[in-house]
Amino acid sequence: MTDNGRRHDQVQSFRKLREESEISSALAEDTFLDDDLLRQLMAVGEVDLLVGIVSHGNASTTTQAVLAIERSFQQRFTRQRAVIVDAYGADKDQSSAASGPSNVPEQNVRLADSLSLRTIQRVTADFAVPPSPGLALRTILAAADLLRARACAVVSPGTTNLTPDWIAKLLKPAYQDKFDFVAPLYTRHKFQGLLARNLFYPMSRAIFGGGIRELYSDEWGFSGRLATDCLNQDVWHEEHIGSRPEAWMAISAMSSDFRCCQVFLGEKSQSATGSGPDIVEVFRQTVGSLFWCMESRQSEWLDREKSEAVQTFGPEHELTSGPSELDRHRIFEMFRSGVTELEPILGSILDSETHAEIKGLVSLEEDNFRFPSELWVKTLYDFAASYHHAVLNRDHLVQALAPLYRGVTFSYLAEHSDSSPDEIEAVNEALCAEFQRQRPYLRDKWKVKVEVKS
Amino acid sequence: MARQKDNLWYKDAVIYQLHVRTFSDSNADGIGDFAGLTQRLDYLQDLGITAIWLLPFYPSPLRDDGYDIADYSSVHPSYGSLDDFKTFLTAAHNRGIRIIIEMVLNHTSDQHPWFKEARSSHDNPKRDWYVWSETDTRYEGVPIIFVDTETSNWAWDPTSKSYYWHRFFSHQPDLNFDNPAVIEALWEVMRFWLEMGVDGFRFDAVPYLVEREGTLCQNLPETHAIIRNLRKRLDEAFPGRMLLAEANNWPDDVRPYFGDGDEFHAAFHFPLMPRMFMSVKLEDRKPIIDVLEKTPEIPNTCQWCIFLRNHDELTLEMVTEVERDYMYDEYAVDKTMRINRGIRRRLAPMMDNDRRRIELLNGLLMSMPGTPIVYYGDEIGMGDNIYLGDRNGVRTPMQWNGERNAGFSNADPERLYSPVISNAVYGSQVINVDSQERTGHSLLRWMKSLIQLRNSFQVFGRGTLQFLKPSNHRVLAYVRQLGDETVLVVNNLSNSAQAVELDVRRFKGNIPIEMFGRNLFPRFGDLPYLLTLGPYQFYWFQLRRI
Repeated sequence: MTDNGRRHDQVQSFRKLREESEISSALAEDTFLDDDLLRQLMAVGEVDLLVGIVSHGNASTTTQAVLAIERSFQQRFTRQRAVIVDAYGADKDQSSAASGPSNVPEQNVRLADSLSLRTIQRVTADFAVPPSPGLALRTILAAADLLRARACAVVSPGTTNLTPDWIAKLLKPAYQDKFDFVAPLYTRHKFQGLLARNLFYPMSRAIFGGGIRELYSDEWGFSGRLATDCLNQDVWHEEHIGSRPEAWMAISAMSSDFRCCQVFLGEKSQSATGSGPDIVEVFRQTVGSLFWCMESRQSEWLDREKSEAVQTFGPEHELTSGPSELDRHRIFEMFRSGVTELEPILGSILDSETHAEIKGLVSLEEDNFRFPSELWVKTLYDFAASYHHAVLNRDHLVQALAPLYRGVTFSYLAEHSDSSPDEIEAVNEALCAEFQRQRPYLRDKWKVKVEVKS
Repeated sequence: MARQKDNLWYKDAVIYQLHVRTFSDSNADGIGDFAGLTQRLDYLQDLGITAIWLLPFYPSPLRDDGYDIADYSSVHPSYGSLDDFKTFLTAAHNRGIRIIIEMVLNHTSDQHPWFKEARSSHDNPKRDWYVWSETDTRYEGVPIIFVDTETSNWAWDPTSKSYYWHRFFSHQPDLNFDNPAVIEALWEVMRFWLEMGVDGFRFDAVPYLVEREGTLCQNLPETHAIIRNLRKRLDEAFPGRMLLAEANNWPDDVRPYFGDGDEFHAAFHFPLMPRMFMSVKLEDRKPIIDVLEKTPEIPNTCQWCIFLRNHDELTLEMVTEVERDYMYDEYAVDKTMRINRGIRRRLAPMMDNDRRRIELLNGLLMSMPGTPIVYYGDEIGMGDNIYLGDRNGVRTPMQWNGERNAGFSNADPERLYSPVISNAVYGSQVINVDSQERTGHSLLRWMKSLIQLRNSFQVFGRGTLQFLKPSNHRVLAYVRQLGDETVLVVNNLSNSAQAVELDVRRFKGNIPIEMFGRNLFPRFGDLPYLLTLGPYQFYWFQLRRI
């Protein structure tokens, strides 16, 4: 080859390189991972364990959470390559330098009793504003995927009694026993977690199979395999994923033959977060997310009966008794006023028979009021089917369920004020069975062609 | 080449450890000897080592590979004569190689005349040269070192009907250092060899010289007083000679053996050794940094001696239970490979004969603070034989060529003190000096260039150490500095390619020169300095401000 020919080839080669570089720049602009995070991940390399933590600038609880994670790595996983990924979003009035986990003093975490053989890595995804839970989870999943983590967990610094033992319990089923999703179980007061007990658990169990009691939790574990699967789903633009991605991840596991289990963690304390979102907003986020999952995964559950027991490590439930601070009278009044005010909307959502039964309940006195479980299940299935058929704005539709849930809550409080934990558990099982029994009703309603009312 | 007149020579030395028995047999009796060793000195000079540490060559029943000495002032007949030793010593000195010999002063063989006299009668003048007791309950709680073979530190002597103290094997009674006559006798032994011209002593089992009730009988103040006494005499009568301590302890516990520069000149850094192996297996610099950051400063005239493997098991005394389990699982999965609290394997088999890992570990050995010790045969990647019992598997004949007995001896193979390694991977047909001399890229040739480089820069032996700690924990980077001499060492501890960004702002303006190829790299500036390293690759950069 002549010098000219060689030079020509070289020019072509450089041109190609530049074009490729422009392409990769364009691709880089699409990515949600910034270069700094990528650089940190590059330095970490492949890991066995990854724990993601979403801190919203709360320095004290973040420090406590990071310490718990590091202790768990140091004492329980002495040989494993481990990393903490903090999807950190500084509050506007707090500087990131003050409160990010990477700023937890070394002497605090390098314990004298440390048994760990390896460096425990810490990575911070520093967002300008606090990221949405969905973006935080997506960042953690991307880190897990890029680092080829075998077992992962997500924890919240809002849980103030996070212990090394909890972290180990969340990681071990995925690391040692090849489970893909590890849901937590907590000690609950019998009147705590009523939304989970009366709606999410029995309904998701009937629809998707596999009973995960805490579908919406602040901490859970998962495999690298599931992380990659979830990361690659084209869902990240969805509002429901942005606000409450945890149930979606659990449902993704349950409905796609990933192996799920539950681990009992014990009593959970949370930092005081003010009044928190009201019940309507909670419904919009959580029930909306559940219905959206049913919609987006209908091919996986509609014609498929699947009910597999989920293996549980530790007790499956632990309920405590004690006086309740709930204002039953106010709940009842809000049920009555809600049903009355929303009558036209409920009429377009509910089957006429269901609607009539609910209207009948409104006329009952408090002492005689009971919301039958059959009616509650039918109501939920009507709502789910109407969500599917989009009979009205889906946000409005989901919010209309809130007053009916108040009726169920009032009924539950009245019926079980003296019930033992075992009795409550038996009632819960019966409710699950009712959801299962009425599943054909849901399927029929789901499949029927509906003309959307104007 | 004449020996340099620097009294701190041991700080710049590269020491080669060998046993006369294993190296070269000149008279075809199957056992290496001084005449054979002398013939091989050109090889050692060419290798670039500057000192030889000889394992015990004294008359001995050889029940502990010569550490059971029966006569301190002679040579075991199998290895030749005193004259042979003198010839060897002169030949080594003529090549600029210093000689360090063993001083096993904690105990003798039970066949030593001193002990024979001591046990002969309670009234014998030598009786008090050893530690006797009517019961075996004194010094309770003192750990047993050879847990695989001994059940007590006391042994019953049926001759004198009393117990004698032994920290090692029961055929090795401990000398009584509370008796000044013992110290005088041992000084006379030292003087004997020093006058002949030896350059240093490796003091065996130093921490255990003195016993006191209610203690662990180790590292006692009285032991330090004895060492200071011997050191003072040495400095006065034989300046420029050195004492090397074997104290298998944590650096903090070894530090007192340097005193104020008035006890030992050098001491082994035992805890670093397993952590180098651990770091490479874990692909994480943490173990190395942890132990070196916990290593105290020592007087300027003192030095740590560092090593990868030696004639004993790879000792796991100075590690945690978790670390020991890890080392066993990763390096001694076959239980035959384990002995006492350690691993009886050589470097190359432990590295799965992976040339890159062998080079990396040797690179660490030569660039870390301290005087490196190379165990014979490791420079060519010799294998081991874990089925030979005790630690004999790492003490097989040196493999000189692919001929009969690996060129070690002309005796019939059956007569050799130990079988030559003969398997398909490490056998002498494959691994030997001759073939590696003739191969340009052999491990031996590479080791020569490594040692030559080390010898060319005093910074390695005397410089300070500072870790850079880049965010990539699989990369171990440190700066060695001595006056104007600055070297940056960057090691990839992992089995995969790595990128690393180094904060070298304080060296802004310096040009890094890769020391093996003398190639210039881009000048350091304000930005993080990006390097990429292949699996187990390492760089040594000389920093030049031009």
